[in-house]
Amino acid sequence: MGGLRPFLSRYGMSLTIQETSEGIGNVTGGVDQGFEYEGLTQMALQLDTQRAFGLHGGTFNVSGLQIHGRNLSADNLASLQTASGIEADRSSRLWELWYDQKFLKEDRLDVKVGQQSLDQEFMVSQNALLFVNTMFGWPMLPSADMPGGGPAYPLSALGVRFRLRPVDSLTILAGVYNGSPVSNNNGDPQQENATGASFPTEGGALFIGEVQYAYPSLGGMVYSDKQPLSGTYKLGFWYDTEDFPDQQFDNAGLSLANPASTGTPLNHHGDYAFYGVTDQMLWSDPNDEDADRTLNFFARAMGTPEEDRNLIDVSVNAGLIFHEPIPGRGDDTLGVGMGYASVGDHASDLDRDTGFYTGSLFPVQSHEEIVEVTYQYELTPWCQLQPDFQYVFNPGGGVPNPNTGQAVKDEAVFGIRTNIQF
Amino acid sequence: MLTINLKKLSLIAVTPLAAMIHAPAAGETDMFLPTIHRHITLASTVPDNGDLNPYAVIVAPVSAGKIQQGDVLVDNFNRISNLQGTGTTIVDYRPATKETSLFAELPRELARCPGGVGLSTAMTMLRSGWIIVGSTPSADGTTRTKGSGGLLVLDSSGHLADVWSGPKINDPWGNMVTIDRGNRATLFVSMAGFDVPGPDVRDPKTGHPAVIKEATVLRIDLSIPDGKPPVITNETVIANGFGQRADRDVFLIGPTGLALGSDGTLYVSDALGNQIVAIPDAVTRTGSAGTGYAVAKDGLLHRPLALTTAPNGHLLSINGTNGQVVEIDPSTGRQLCAQWIDADQAQSPPGDGDLFGIAMTPDGKGFYYVADDVNTLMKATP
Repeated sequence: MGGLRPFLSRYGMSLTIQETSEGIGNVTGGVDQGFEYEGLTQMALQLDTQRAFGLHGGTFNVSGLQIHGRNLSADNLASLQTASGIEADRSSRLWELWYDQKFLKEDRLDVKVGQQSLDQEFMVSQNALLFVNTMFGWPMLPSADMPGGGPAYPLSALGVRFRLRPVDSLTILAGVYNGSPVSNNNGDPQQENATGASFPTEGGALFIGEVQYAYPSLGGMVYSDKQPLSGTYKLGFWYDTEDFPDQQFDNAGLSLANPASTGTPLNHHGDYAFYGVTDQMLWSDPNDEDADRTLNFFARAMGTPEEDRNLIDVSVNAGLIFHEPIPGRGDDTLGVGMGYASVGDHASDLDRDTGFYTGSLFPVQSHEEIVEVTYQYELTPWCQLQPDFQYVFNPGGGVPNPNTGQAVKDEAVFGIRTNIQF
Repeated sequence: MLTINLKKLSLIAVTPLAAMIHAPAAGETDMFLPTIHRHITLASTVPDNGDLNPYAVIVAPVSAGKIQQGDVLVDNFNRISNLQGTGTTIVDYRPATKETSLFAELPRELARCPGGVGLSTAMTMLRSGWIIVGSTPSADGTTRTKGSGGLLVLDSSGHLADVWSGPKINDPWGNMVTIDRGNRATLFVSMAGFDVPGPDVRDPKTGHPAVIKEATVLRIDLSIPDGKPPVITNETVIANGFGQRADRDVFLIGPTGLALGSDGTLYVSDALGNQIVAIPDAVTRTGSAGTGYAVAKDGLLHRPLALTTAPNGHLLSINGTNGQVVEIDPSTGRQLCAQWIDADQAQSPPGDGDLFGIAMTPDGKGFYYVADDVNTLMKATP
């Protein structure tokens, strides 16, 4: 880095750069078939205030994204649960810009203020982060239902977040953010906030809270070598005060598919959902001296009863993660996961209405499932290779293929990802 | 670092054995770790040059030069590129002011230190003000390019005064034990680098890098002339034959922790054997005891690393493959309990590979330790 990092370090700053590149494509189904290149460069600069000027517990963070390549899910798949977590519009953009300050003894409280991407802290399953499919990161439900897809990669929103650790095993996260990461919820959110620097403050507010329980916790005593395996359990809730368009009816009470419709959806005030996340180690190889060889389970579910204003009413992820599947390859990981997305009744009914009013056999969206098998192979400590396979059942929940008018056929997706840390 | 005053050692040594045997249920009612309830992040251990991966933790026994008594000295094993075996700095955390400063920054290359400088967990400060720190160096962050390193002698202002190397010194690795008599001193330090190849040389039976059973514990007797650096007067290998091997993640695994019992028994954490062994008569013996005899094995131990001794005489042993410290009664070998002092679930198991050095606080009520994944100095207290 030409001496840049040592220079920054003198002022208490650290710089991280990671390049993620992948070749990914579908060999069956979809609206088209073929392979594409997708790429993301992430850069983050952090300043430790203690090292910089002696203030304990403060961190400034600024991060940026350079998104390159194409977008397979948009080009070929028409799936709800998009195939890669790095897929986004080509752009160079500001991502996060915040300051975090710790308070109280043992740093039991910290407050983060600024532009934040919620997928970095809320709804996170540590094990699920291995997978390539987007929805193992920021889940399907908020991606589809929150304005602009919610403040998550590649977007973010201004807000404040509190994190309190009242006892060592329990953490409470609570935050309030701008209700949308963009000013105008009607366009492509990534185009509406093309550089990440529009800092919208108008509109509603997004409230989110999460309670986390973890075993083990700091300070926990152990009196037997037969101790429980580690795990975390999270329960959360979010409420957004923005206006949300009805999925079926217009502002005159007619179906949006009705030729007499005004075309302007009925507006609803506010939206909310509940969720739960678990990460649980199931097995640790007693014969592995490095203790790397473990089998872990994860599951995450989110649901909302507000079907009139939400495309997705339930989404679920679950899977198994096997660290060191090949003895001696302690930094390799094998993962098998699934995703489920249920299309809400009002959105499905609109499809039925469309069929009724057009007199055609219009496909009705219902639910979409994906399975993914992936293997992360550590080539060097700074480079990983990750071959990946996904199969998408009922893409888009049954969305019609514009080329045929029939529902998009199931998709077999192959890819290989590389992560390089500079 | 454990520093023992010889007068105290003599007094303890003449305590009747019967009194120790009939001491009130030391293992059951006098445990140390259950008294620890708070874990406080004190400071970042990253100096201005960006060195990472804190290993050794010692508490200054005296004030001298730039150091005040009670200061906590921490060295770094990695340089800013995060290659292991390349760190060259020692930072000084002053509890009185809560400030951290750079105590020493050594040159990467030293003519008399084969392989250069990569500061390890072997560090001590003598009452005469001299600091002695081990170098286990590498060019590429693995043992493939490691040198045999040496022991570096610094004055109390952080300036290099001498380098000790030689055939009995090969990658000083674990925490030192020191017996300090003022103008004479005795050091105990483990050597874990003899004939260790790179991490790609594998044992086909285990799939892990090949284990070389050549690690030693070296006793080094010093003379300390007034105003001059210490001089080695004698080197004795008091234990040998411990397993040692390369590792892609943690560079090197071998005997790491040392602690001296009141009867002159040296306790050694044999990381690959997953046990604590005892070397009898460590202060006086003239030859090697081999790998000694096992005091505690497996159970709560998960790759034991640095050792220290709690005020109740129990050993505190840092685990390498989870975030626990284990309390052991060395008189019975019983593993009494363990405490999670790093429960970071970003690793699996939690805290895997995060811990290394440990040192008791001067009041004996708590201990300092490092969390090397986040480059911080921690303090555990009641």
